[in-house]
Amino acid sequence: MSRIPVIRVEDVLIATVIEDVTDSDAVALQSELGHQLEARGAKGVLIDLSVVGIVDSFLGRVLAVVATMSRLLGAPTVIAGIQPAVAVTLVELGVRLTGVRTALTSDAGMRMLREGRVGRHVGRR
Amino acid sequence: MKEPVEQTRAQMVDHMEVQRKTISELQTPVIQVWEGILALPIVGTVDSARAQQMTEALLDRITATGASVVLLDITAVPTVDTAFAKHLIETIAAARLLGTDVMVVGLTTHTALTLVHLGVDLEGVVTRTTMAKGLELAFDRLGLAVVRRAPLVDVAHP
Amino acid sequence: MSAVAEVIPLAREEDIVTARQRAREISRELGFGAVDQSRIATAVSELARNVLRYAGGAPGDVRIRALDGPSPERVGVEVVVHDEGPGIPDVHAALRDGYTSSGGLGLGLPGARRLMDELTIDTAMGRGTTVTMRKWRR
Repeated sequence: MSRIPVIRVEDVLIATVIEDVTDSDAVALQSELGHQLEARGAKGVLIDLSVVGIVDSFLGRVLAVVATMSRLLGAPTVIAGIQPAVAVTLVELGVRLTGVRTALTSDAGMRMLREGRVGRHVGRR
Repeated sequence: MKEPVEQTRAQMVDHMEVQRKTISELQTPVIQVWEGILALPIVGTVDSARAQQMTEALLDRITATGASVVLLDITAVPTVDTAFAKHLIETIAAARLLGTDVMVVGLTTHTALTLVHLGVDLEGVVTRTTMAKGLELAFDRLGLAVVRRAPLVDVAHP
Repeated sequence: MSAVAEVIPLAREEDIVTARQRAREISRELGFGAVDQSRIATAVSELARNVLRYAGGAPGDVRIRALDGPSPERVGVEVVVHDEGPGIPDVHAALRDGYTSSGGLGLGLPGARRLMDELTIDTAMGRGTTVTMRKWRR
């Protein structure tokens, strides 16, 4: 079982990523989310990265895959709490998270998902 | 309980980080024009070091204020070249990872054509010619509107 | 000029996490800002993963040491990632974005080079691979 717990709140699957996540943990998270979405569906997926200080290309890739997979399974994904240092590093590293919706905090992310504001259009309220 | 020497070391490191941030903020004037809206006028030439520093200062202000819209004003940028365009795109990409909408204002026909010539595609980035137009759009994004009420009383000549 | 290097062996995938966390801590102690700490740690993570994925199970390690230049401005960190694997056949290709021999993302080496100030590779069949990276505090 992944060390990243997935809980369901208001029909949104929430995963709070811990600081020292291994590659296997990341892959397990992807599997777990896939299973839950297939079995029960969800209104959305919220991935909280607020305590993660290092995100490399592997985790970045997993996040991109999770976002696409979830969208295809009918649940938009919001990645919340990316730290400034991580944001700058990801851009310089060349990891593209294009099309992945992000939020400053998990509160903001939940609001977006709850209000159905996570569409494919650019720009948000 | 930390050793006294180690305690001082840790304090020194934290202090350096605070100093670094202060210097960075002083050099990059990020203005909060409204709740949730930040404006960053980019003045003069931007080299790699300055671009990095500007980006960091901007991102720190975004997290500190919880801003949802950023207006990057390039009116006072003398030369829009490939290097500047790359810095701009990277700053925008980083701010977007924080969930912020970024708009670029201050484009002229000249800069627009230069960007076309350079093959730079600001795809997905909303642009406007003036700060005022950008601000209008920013308000709209936040569900706000500027409304004219009764004319302002002239304080000097009531 | 140099301090003693801290050595982190690379044998299991948990070691990737250990190596990058130590890299970040050491960078922080050396006075690097938060973003540079992230850059250094991420570069270490990329290279450590390369060792575990592509060195064919051969042993490897990460060595981190502080660099003290002649002047106070010349403070930096040096990270040497070594493995006893088969070596990289085409270094130039490996340094290009997108190159990968096993279906991964291919950003490891070129990405690390973008994040660090200096990066050199010494690799050959029978000699393994040694990547030396440095970053200087601004």
